[in-house]
Amino acid sequence: MTESLSTPVNSGDLPVLLDVKALDKTFAVPVLKNLSFQLRKGEIHALMGSNGAGKSTLCNIIAGIHQPTAGEMYFLGEKYTPNDVKAAEEAGIRMVMQELNLFPTLSIAENLCFKNLGNKFGIIDSKRLRERATKLLDLVGLDDVTPETPMEDLGVGKQQLIEIASVISEPIKLLIVDEPTAALTDPQIDLLFEQLRKLRDQGVGIIYISHRMDEIQRIADRVSVLRDGQLVATEDIKDIDVETIVNLMSGDLDSHSISIKPGIRPPKSCVLRVRTLSKVGAFEDINLDIYSGEVLGIGGLIGSGRTELLRTLFGADVADAGSLRFASDDFLFPRLMRSPEEGVANGIGLVVEDRKSQGLLLQKSLLRNISLSILPQLTNKFAVVDKQREHDIAVEIAQRLAIKFDNIRAPIASLSGGNQQKALIARWLLRDLPILLFDEPSRGVDARAKTRIHELIREQALKGKAVIVVSSETQELMTVSDRIIVLSNGRMAGEFDRASFSEEKLLEASFRFYNKSSPQHKTNDKEQQDVSPTH
Amino acid sequence: MPGLKKLHLPWNSLGLIGVLIALILFFSFMSDYFFSTVTFRTLVNQIPALTVISVGMTYVLLIGGIDLSVGSVMALSAAVVGVAIADFHLPVLIAIVCGLAVGFIFGVTSGFVSSHWKIPSFVVTLGMLEIARGGSYLVTQSETKYIGDPVAFIGDPVPVVGISAALIAAVSVVIVAQWLLSKTIFGRYMIAIGTNEEAVRLAGINPVSWKIVVFAIAGLLAGLGGVFQLGYLQSADPNAGIGLELSAIAAVVIGGTSLSGGRGSVVNSFFGVLIIAVMQTGLAQLGVSESSKRIITGLVIIAAVLFDQYREPLAARLSGKNKRIPTFDDN
Amino acid sequence: MPFKMHFLRFGFLLLLSLIIAGCDSKNTSETSANDSAKEDKPVRVALVMKSLANEFFINMAKGAERHQEEHADEYTLIVNGIRNESDLAQQVSLIEQMMATQVDVLVIAPADSKSILPVAKRAAEQGIVVINIDNKFDVELLEKMNVAIPFVGPDNLEGARLVGERLAQELTAGDKVAIIGGIPGAFNAQQRQKGFEEAMNAAGIEIVTVQSADWEQAKAATIAAAILSENPDLKAILAANDSMALGAVAAIRQAGRESDVLVVGFDNISAAQDMVKKGAMLATADQFGDKLAVFGIEYALQILKTGQAEADKKTPIELITAESLNQ
Repeated sequence: MTESLSTPVNSGDLPVLLDVKALDKTFAVPVLKNLSFQLRKGEIHALMGSNGAGKSTLCNIIAGIHQPTAGEMYFLGEKYTPNDVKAAEEAGIRMVMQELNLFPTLSIAENLCFKNLGNKFGIIDSKRLRERATKLLDLVGLDDVTPETPMEDLGVGKQQLIEIASVISEPIKLLIVDEPTAALTDPQIDLLFEQLRKLRDQGVGIIYISHRMDEIQRIADRVSVLRDGQLVATEDIKDIDVETIVNLMSGDLDSHSISIKPGIRPPKSCVLRVRTLSKVGAFEDINLDIYSGEVLGIGGLIGSGRTELLRTLFGADVADAGSLRFASDDFLFPRLMRSPEEGVANGIGLVVEDRKSQGLLLQKSLLRNISLSILPQLTNKFAVVDKQREHDIAVEIAQRLAIKFDNIRAPIASLSGGNQQKALIARWLLRDLPILLFDEPSRGVDARAKTRIHELIREQALKGKAVIVVSSETQELMTVSDRIIVLSNGRMAGEFDRASFSEEKLLEASFRFYNKSSPQHKTNDKEQQDVSPTH
Repeated sequence: MPGLKKLHLPWNSLGLIGVLIALILFFSFMSDYFFSTVTFRTLVNQIPALTVISVGMTYVLLIGGIDLSVGSVMALSAAVVGVAIADFHLPVLIAIVCGLAVGFIFGVTSGFVSSHWKIPSFVVTLGMLEIARGGSYLVTQSETKYIGDPVAFIGDPVPVVGISAALIAAVSVVIVAQWLLSKTIFGRYMIAIGTNEEAVRLAGINPVSWKIVVFAIAGLLAGLGGVFQLGYLQSADPNAGIGLELSAIAAVVIGGTSLSGGRGSVVNSFFGVLIIAVMQTGLAQLGVSESSKRIITGLVIIAAVLFDQYREPLAARLSGKNKRIPTFDDN
Repeated sequence: MPFKMHFLRFGFLLLLSLIIAGCDSKNTSETSANDSAKEDKPVRVALVMKSLANEFFINMAKGAERHQEEHADEYTLIVNGIRNESDLAQQVSLIEQMMATQVDVLVIAPADSKSILPVAKRAAEQGIVVINIDNKFDVELLEKMNVAIPFVGPDNLEGARLVGERLAQELTAGDKVAIIGGIPGAFNAQQRQKGFEEAMNAAGIEIVTVQSADWEQAKAATIAAAILSENPDLKAILAANDSMALGAVAAIRQAGRESDVLVVGFDNISAAQDMVKKGAMLATADQFGDKLAVFGIEYALQILKTGQAEADKKTPIELITAESLNQ
C-alpha cells in the first residue's frame, strides 16, 4: 500500500466539511435510523455496507435527490438543506451516478459541455467545445478518443470516466462516487485514482462507495461501515483490516429474530438440474440441483447476476451455454428455455423483480391482474371467460393472501406495494406450477406484508414445490431458505445449508470474486474492443 | 347502476350518444331535409366499409399498434374482386373469397413482420400501404373497373328494411367483435398486451402470436371493407380509400380507444363512425364549403377526444361519486 | 346517485323517443305539404363537383353561385365537392345525400364516367332532373342501363384538336412530341387525348409516349422530367389540362430546355394564361369553365319548364394563344 503512504496527513487535523446529524429516512420502511456521519475536507472516505444498508440513500440525501425524514446536515459549518439536485450542485456537491446521465446520440464534446453549449445567440461554438472537451478527456486519460465521437459508441467504462471528467471540471467541494470502477480497466482505474487524489489534495471531500476491498485499501483515507441504516464504525484505513470490516457489516445475528421456522420437510427430490449455465455479461458456469419441498436462496451483491440467472431459468432471457434437465423426462433431454411461455410449459413461474414495469397491468384491476395467467382454465369451448368463476377465484385467493382492497375492480395502481406484490404472487399460485422463482419478493413492502410473503414462500415448499428466492437482504434469505447459494461477480461463490448459515460467511462469499486477482467482469471485453477510436 | 345495465349499453357510450344526438339535433335544426328516414337510411348505407375497417383499427390500437395500410388494402381487395369478376369471370362468391384472402395475407404479413422482428407497426404498415396501393394499380391497370349488377346485392338496400346487406353484415361484425373483446380470452389478452406487453410475456403468454392474429383480423376486415365498397360503388376504384386509415383512426379515437393501447371498445368506435358520417352528411346537406367542412370536422374530432379525456371526472361528478369509476375492462 | 342515474337514463330515453317521433311526423308532413310547397318555393338545385381544391372546379362553382344570385327567385343552390378528384365513394355519398334532401335538379361532374352512373340513374328514377357536366358518362353503359342523362359541355375532342393543330403549325413532320393524359378512365381525358392524337397524326408528327399524370401538377412534373431525359430531341409536350401543363413547364425549366420544348394545355386557368402570355406555354383551350355549371343549370331549368326530350348540348370552346390574349 505504498500509495496510501502519500496521504498528506494526519487526517485528524483536517476541518470538517460535512456534518450529518441524526438523520432518519423512511420510505415504506425505515432506511436510515438516527445516522450521524462526518466527512472532512481533503479526505477520501469509503462507505461500506451490504445491500440495503443505506449507503445509496445517505448519498442521495447529501446530493439533494431525497430529503431526510428527520435530522440535520451542516456543510462548512452552515445548515445545509438541499431541496433538489440543483441546490446541492450550487453548494458545490456533486454525485457521479451508477446509472449514467448522458445523451447517447450526442457527441462527447456536447455531453461534456451540455449545460453551456452555445454562445449568447444559441449557436454552438464547436471549436470551443472541442478545446474544452479535449482538455477534460486528457484529465481522465481518454486522449485516444476524439471529442466528436457519439457517446453511444463508447463502452460503459469510458462513459463513466467522461461523466467523472465532466463533474470534476467544475469547481466542487464535495464529490460522491458510487461504484465507479465496476466497468473500468486497470489503467483506467489508476488514472481515476490519480484524479481523485488530486482533488483530495485540493481540499475536496470525497465519499467513495465500493464493494471492492482492495480498492478501498488503495484509495481511501478513512472508512465508515453502515448496517441497517446506522453507522456502526468509522476508522482510519490503516487501523482496520478486511476481516473486521466484513464483521462490522454483518453484525450480530442475535439481534434479529427468525420468525419462520423451516417446518417439517416433505421428502425432497430433485426436479431440475442446471448444468454449466452461462450468459455473457451476467453469469457463468452455474451448476445447481433444484429440489421439490425446498426453498433455495440466492444471495450476492446487486449486479452479481442473480436476477439474470432467474430470468434465464424462466426463459425471459436466453442462456448462451449450458442446459436444464427436468425430472419430468428423467433428466434425459438437455434444454434451454427460449421464452417465458416455454418456461411455464415446463412448470416454472417467476415473480419478477420490477413488478411495476414487468409484472403488473397497472391501469387494470386487481381482478384482471390476478386472473391473467389462468384465463385458459376459465373458458368454455368458445373461449368465453366465465366472469363469475374468475371473480370468485380471485376473491378467494386475495383473501387467502390477505390482499387488502376496497374494490376488486379498481386499478391495481391504487393498491400499496405489498398488496401489489401479493397480487403478483397470487397470479402464480393460481397457476400451481411445480417450480416457483421469486426475485426480491419483499422489495418496497411493509413489514407485515413481508412476513406474510415469507410465510407464503415457506408454505409453497411445504406443499412440495421447488422454490428459489433471490434477495439482497441476507436476513430475508436466512429466514426463508433451506439452502443458500451465493453469486459473486457472476460466479457461484459458495453453498450453505441451514446449519452453516451466517451473515458473515454469506457476505464474505459475495465479495469473493470482486478482488483484482479474479478474472474481471465481462464488460471489460467490450472495453478492450472499442479502444480503437471510431472516428 | 341497475338502470344502466338494462339499457345494455356500455356505460361510457353515453357521452358519445350525447354527442351524436347533439349533432343530429343541430343539423335537424339547420336543415329542413336532414331529419328524415331517407337521410338516415342513406347515411347508414354509406358506412359499412368504414365501420368494419374501424373495428380492425380498434383491435390494432388496443394492442398498442397502428395499421396505416387499411385504406390501400381495401382498395386492393376490391380491385382483386372486381378483376376476378369482370376479367376472369369467376363466380361472385369465389371472387369475394379471393378479395378477403388478399386482405388476410396483408394483415398476417404486417403482424408477423412487426411483432416477430420487433419493428414498429407504424413503419411496417406504412410500407404495406404503398405495396397494396401499387398492387391495386397493377391489378386494375390504374383504371376503374365497372362491375355493375353482379355485386349490387351487397350494397343496394334490401327491400322493406331499406338498409343494405353490407350494413347488416358490418353491424354483425361490430357485435361479434365487441363480444370477442369483452367476453373472450382473446379480448383479455389484447387489453393486457396493450397495457404492458412485457408483463404479459413474463406471465408466460406469448404476445407475438396474439399480435399477429390481431393484424390478420384487421387485414381481413380491410378486405371485407373492400368488398362492401365494391358493392356500394358497383365498381373497383384503384384510388379508393386514400386517407381512409385516418378516418378510421379518427372514428376509433373519437370512440375513446387509447392510441397507446390497453383501452378501447368496438361499439364506441362504431359510434365514432356514426358521428363522422352524420357530420359529413349534415355538412353536405347544408352545402357548407369544403374548407369549412374540413375545419369543422377537425374541431369535432378534437372536441370529442377532449370530452372523452375528461369524461371520467365528469361522469363522477354527475353520479355524485368522487372516484373509483370502474375501469372500462371491468364492465 | 340513483336519482341522478335515473335522470340521465330518463333524459336519454326522452331524446330517443323524440327522435323517432320526429322522424315520423317529418315524413308525413313533408309528403302532405309537398305539392303546395313546390308551387311557391323556388326550384332546388344541387351541384356535385369534383375536387373543390382545384381552381377549375372552384371557378365553375363560383360561376354557378353568381348565376344563382342573379336568379335568386328562380332557384336555390347547394354546392358540394369531393376531397380529391378520384374519391368515387365520397361522390356517390354526396349524390345520395342530395337525393335524400329531395332536390329537383342534380348537376353532376362525375369523378368517373362509369362508376357514378348507377347512383345517377337512381336519382333520375326518383324524378330528379339529372344533368351531366364536365366529364361525360360512358355512352355504352348509358345504353346498357337504358337511361338518358343529357351531357351539357364542350366537345373535348374538338378543343384538343384545335390546340393540337395550333401546335402543329410550329412543328414540322417527323418531330417528336409526348402526351400527358388525365385519369385514364375519364371520358374527357380520353377525348382530349384523342383530339391531340388526331391533330398530331394529321401533321405527321411522331408521338413518342402517352402517359397519365392523373390531372395533377406534381405528378405531371415528375413524368415530364422523365420523358425529357428519355427524349433529348423532344419538341413538345401536350398536357390534357393546364395543371399538368404547368407541371411540364416546371420540368422543362429544371432541365433547362425552355427554348427547345413547347407546351400546350387545356382549360385556360389563370396561371396558364400567365404562362401563355410569357411564352412558356404555346396555347390552351378555353371551354368557359366558369360557365359550364351554369350551362348545365340553365338547361335543367329549361327541361323542368318545358318537360322536353333530353338531348346532349354542346357548349362553346375557344383556342387561347398569346395573340388572342393580347387582343
